[in-house]
Amino acid sequence: MPLLALLAKEPAHGYELKSQLEQVFGEAYPAPNIGQIYVTLQRLERDGLVRSQDVVQTTRPNKRVYELTDAGREAVVEWVDKTSEGPRVRDEFFMKLALSQLARTSDRLGLIIRQRRHYLAQLRSLSELAATVDRPVPRLLIEGAILHLQADLDWLQRCQEELL
Amino acid sequence: MIGSDGTVLLRARSLNKIFAGEGVVVHAVREVDLSLANGEFVAVTGPSGSGKSTLLHMLGGLEKPTSGEIWLEGKRVDGLSQARWAMLRRRHIGFVFQFFNLVSNMTVADNVELAALMGGASRKQATARRRELLGELGLAAKADAAPARLSGGEQQRVALARAMANRPALLLADEPTGNLDSAATTAVLGLLARAHADGQGILLVTHDLRVACTADRVISLFDGMVVDDAPMTIPHRPMLLPDVLKLRG
Amino acid sequence: MRAMTRWIRADLRASTARALVIAGVVAAVVTALLLSAGLLQGATNPWQGLFTATKGAQIWLHLAPGTSVRDLKSQVSGIDAVAGPYEATAATVVQTGARTRVELRATPSLPLIGRPLLISGRWLTPSSPGGVVLEATFAQAIHAVDGDVLTLDNVDASRHVRVRLIGIAETSDQGFYPDQTPGLIWVLPGLLGRIEPNIGHTEEVVGLRIADPNAASFIVQQVVTRLGNSTVGTVSTWQQVEDSMARRDPLLGLLLALFGLMALGAAVLAIVNVTAGRVLLQSIDLGMLKTLGFTPLQVLAMLTAEHAVLAGAGIVAGLAAARLLMPVLLDGVPGVSAAATALPSGWAFLIIGGTFAAVLLATAAPALQAGLVRPVAAVRAVPPRGHLSKLARTAMAARMPPAMVLGTRAAFVRKLSAALMIGGLAIPILMITVGLGFWSTVDDVQRNPADIGLAASVTVSPGPLTWSEAGHLIKADPQVQAAYSCVRADALALGDTTTITTLGMGTSAQPYPFHVVQGQLYRAPEEAVATQALLAALRLNVGQFVRMWIGGVPVTFHIVGRIIDPQYGGEVLAYGRDTLADEGAPTPIGFYSLVLKPGVSPAAAATHLVRVSGGRLDAAVVSDPADQLGIVHVALACLIGVLALLGLTSLLTASLLSQRDHQRDLSVLRAMGMTPLQVRFALMMRTTVLALVAVTAGVVVGRLVSTTLISAVSKAYGLGAGIGRPPAVGALAAAVVLAIGAAALASMLPPRPGGHMSAVAILGPGP
Repeated sequence: MPLLALLAKEPAHGYELKSQLEQVFGEAYPAPNIGQIYVTLQRLERDGLVRSQDVVQTTRPNKRVYELTDAGREAVVEWVDKTSEGPRVRDEFFMKLALSQLARTSDRLGLIIRQRRHYLAQLRSLSELAATVDRPVPRLLIEGAILHLQADLDWLQRCQEELL
Repeated sequence: MIGSDGTVLLRARSLNKIFAGEGVVVHAVREVDLSLANGEFVAVTGPSGSGKSTLLHMLGGLEKPTSGEIWLEGKRVDGLSQARWAMLRRRHIGFVFQFFNLVSNMTVADNVELAALMGGASRKQATARRRELLGELGLAAKADAAPARLSGGEQQRVALARAMANRPALLLADEPTGNLDSAATTAVLGLLARAHADGQGILLVTHDLRVACTADRVISLFDGMVVDDAPMTIPHRPMLLPDVLKLRG
Repeated sequence: MRAMTRWIRADLRASTARALVIAGVVAAVVTALLLSAGLLQGATNPWQGLFTATKGAQIWLHLAPGTSVRDLKSQVSGIDAVAGPYEATAATVVQTGARTRVELRATPSLPLIGRPLLISGRWLTPSSPGGVVLEATFAQAIHAVDGDVLTLDNVDASRHVRVRLIGIAETSDQGFYPDQTPGLIWVLPGLLGRIEPNIGHTEEVVGLRIADPNAASFIVQQVVTRLGNSTVGTVSTWQQVEDSMARRDPLLGLLLALFGLMALGAAVLAIVNVTAGRVLLQSIDLGMLKTLGFTPLQVLAMLTAEHAVLAGAGIVAGLAAARLLMPVLLDGVPGVSAAATALPSGWAFLIIGGTFAAVLLATAAPALQAGLVRPVAAVRAVPPRGHLSKLARTAMAARMPPAMVLGTRAAFVRKLSAALMIGGLAIPILMITVGLGFWSTVDDVQRNPADIGLAASVTVSPGPLTWSEAGHLIKADPQVQAAYSCVRADALALGDTTTITTLGMGTSAQPYPFHVVQGQLYRAPEEAVATQALLAALRLNVGQFVRMWIGGVPVTFHIVGRIIDPQYGGEVLAYGRDTLADEGAPTPIGFYSLVLKPGVSPAAAATHLVRVSGGRLDAAVVSDPADQLGIVHVALACLIGVLALLGLTSLLTASLLSQRDHQRDLSVLRAMGMTPLQVRFALMMRTTVLALVAVTAGVVVGRLVSTTLISAVSKAYGLGAGIGRPPAVGALAAAVVLAIGAAALASMLPPRPGGHMSAVAILGPGP
């Protein structure tokens, strides 16, 4: 998915993608090796989200340049707009956030706002649920979920402050 | 607008507030537009320093806007004198603060009755209304106590009673649960929900999102500006325990 | 409005103690002012009081017997009422060794106008047909007391009647005896008829009460015209009576006037302090009220009404207290009658009205301010913590403290509370210092009357004896330390039309021991000393020459020194009596001024001399102003007590205010780990330091002011500078220690319950 997002900016070949990934995420991410990148690119091509082209170079061996298909572009937009879920949310969301500047697919503030709205709705549901439960163990479970949500919301606020 | 009759109760346009003093100029509220319908429950949220309280104070006439318009029940109010605002606050606006809600030298009963008297009730009417309100809150026993003798939660509940003594169209609350423990918070939120169900229009300022999410609509402020103003999305089905487990993966 | 009265009632109930303090302070102020005004009047101008108390008549006429005055009121405009006519006759009181002329006045019952005030015994009653009532000063002069039996002779001594003294009364009809003679005795008409059956020897006495006192002489003219010159005998107006009653005692007048000023200053101070302080303490609640919907005007009206009620209560209490305390005060002071202290209603209204106005003003100012300032969170800058972006820092400056100080800006309140504290302590201390200065001055005067020129306490007139015979008797008396032969001569200064009293006291070789404050005493003929007042009147300075006519003979005096002498209205020129002989001026009849041995009572010495001379020497005690200074001691003690109380209340108020202001700091300190006791100690230190500053300022300025003030006013009264004494060091030190101790104690008071917030509440998150 991040590759797709990167390609949204401009077509690139494998090595360029690798260096871009390293640039954006730096040490926060273990950089995938070039082999993995090519495997992923091939899979994306098989799925019809990217297409490749060979570019003839005079002094070097031919390199394969990949670019997004329309389907691929749609997938990126859909991915970005979709609110993230689950424990990997931070990673996924943060990825979207970091990439969004490059991809120019949507504004960062909108991203944060949509995620916040989603969380608020969840918070409300959880609170309503908690009001109906009186056994301590399930209530604690719900409390835990609420607290995690609040922490995530706080983190959203920090993102907003820092990145905007 | 959930549960409202659609007419606009409160409307603010291009509100600004600039504090200047001792070499520091602070633009606390920037070009804020908002509106509240009759019976609507809106929460204004944001981090410390986002200007929420200042906005609330302006909407209640406690602070004069540097520029902008405020309309209450169809009438322009931002330029009113203090005296006029005071009269509005008797019957049309109720206030609840984070603390100092009750006049310290009067009993609980007196506090509530005073509000009723200000609203034009006779002595008998004021006493009856006080009994009704305190009874609903379960605080009838503490009617003759001094405010200092009550716990924080009890004080806030009395404050709510006082604010709603005259059934004002608009209830303005500034961090009403900021000072309370979770049990008291729940109680106060319950009161607000009940009032809302009865058709009370509420504008609540809070930094606690758990409180904010109980409203119909949440307005997010950041650095004096509105960054989000959206109704609370209602999930198609209520959450169940298994969903909670899934949340955490 | 109902809401306003509800709040007022609740507020009074909740802070009853503070409300009582306000009422108490007002009562104390009213009492102090009424008492001091009354004392001042009683001591310096007793006529006014007597006139008020006796509902006096401004004009008294002695008319030929049988004159009809029935139509007088309608014929002459401006007369409110007519007293009398009373039948009166001249008579003589015969006592062993003395015959004294009196006027008997027949009054069947207590008159409505010019009503004599009984100070002992009872009034004339038919059950006591031989009973008489004497006028107070006359009774004192002839040493008559209730129950005494006197013999009255009529004018031509053809009848002698024994009468019994059944009462003594004061009146404003005529001046004090013996300034104004003859003495007055009230009798029943029957008794008068017995003493003097001959109508031709009687007179009619009529009193007129007029609407406009200033028109007295005009009305007299009209009355005389109506009644005819031949029917009108003597006429006396209130001005003459007042003049004769007024004590021309500059020292007493001076001290009491200053006392009055101090009382006034303390009054204003106390009231402002207590009321303003109370309103400021309520500023948070007042802001809350405005949020509830009270308009600024309503807030002002509410507070003013509440304090008006308190002021009213205080005034009523003050009036009652003054009435109760006045006789108690006067008990300790001879020479001033209770009636003389009766204030005319104008003064009383002024005092009451002024106090009321002061309370209202002191309430209105802070109430107005509380009402007008927008009830919003006060913005106070918090010092930035750590490294923050510029934006965040400014945001922090705007984000403010949950400590909502509705209605007042924090900085302003801080400055005001410090100012209240310092002022509230410094000014009473200043006044106490000045009061202590007065005290030592009075003490000094009492111990050393010579310092104010009253070395001699007895004057002796030779009477029928020759000058040398009298001198022998006096010098032989073992109680006499020194005797100075003196004369009193009236002189005319060049270009002046008034007479100046000059005194030849002793001789140039043996001068009278005046208290010289500048220059020196006269040592040779034609050298003279004078008082400040005289020098000012003649526009002279020490060292100059002045020419006067004494008995038609010009005499040139060289003024060599300035003295203090309170007699003769403070204008005295003294020299050796040999100067007169030298210059060929006639020497009038002289008298002896006696300086007694220390410890000898002047009254005893005087009576002894009279006895020894077989009643021929006329010895009189020089009126000692120190006698009347007893009032001043009492009054000063009361005033110092009141000032101390006022200082204490202002301390308490300021302490409460500062506690409230420093709530935030206190909580921070507590959060940092200081125990409550340590925190209170920290507050106490701050208060003590402020108190130290205030007390030092008060004492220093007070000391400067005290001596300067006394000198300035005594100059105005003609006593000249040099009479003031600094306050006693011991008393001052005690006052200082007490003041600082009280300040420290006041600050250690625990905060009032409900007035403080938890640390979390105050340090909690912002908006």
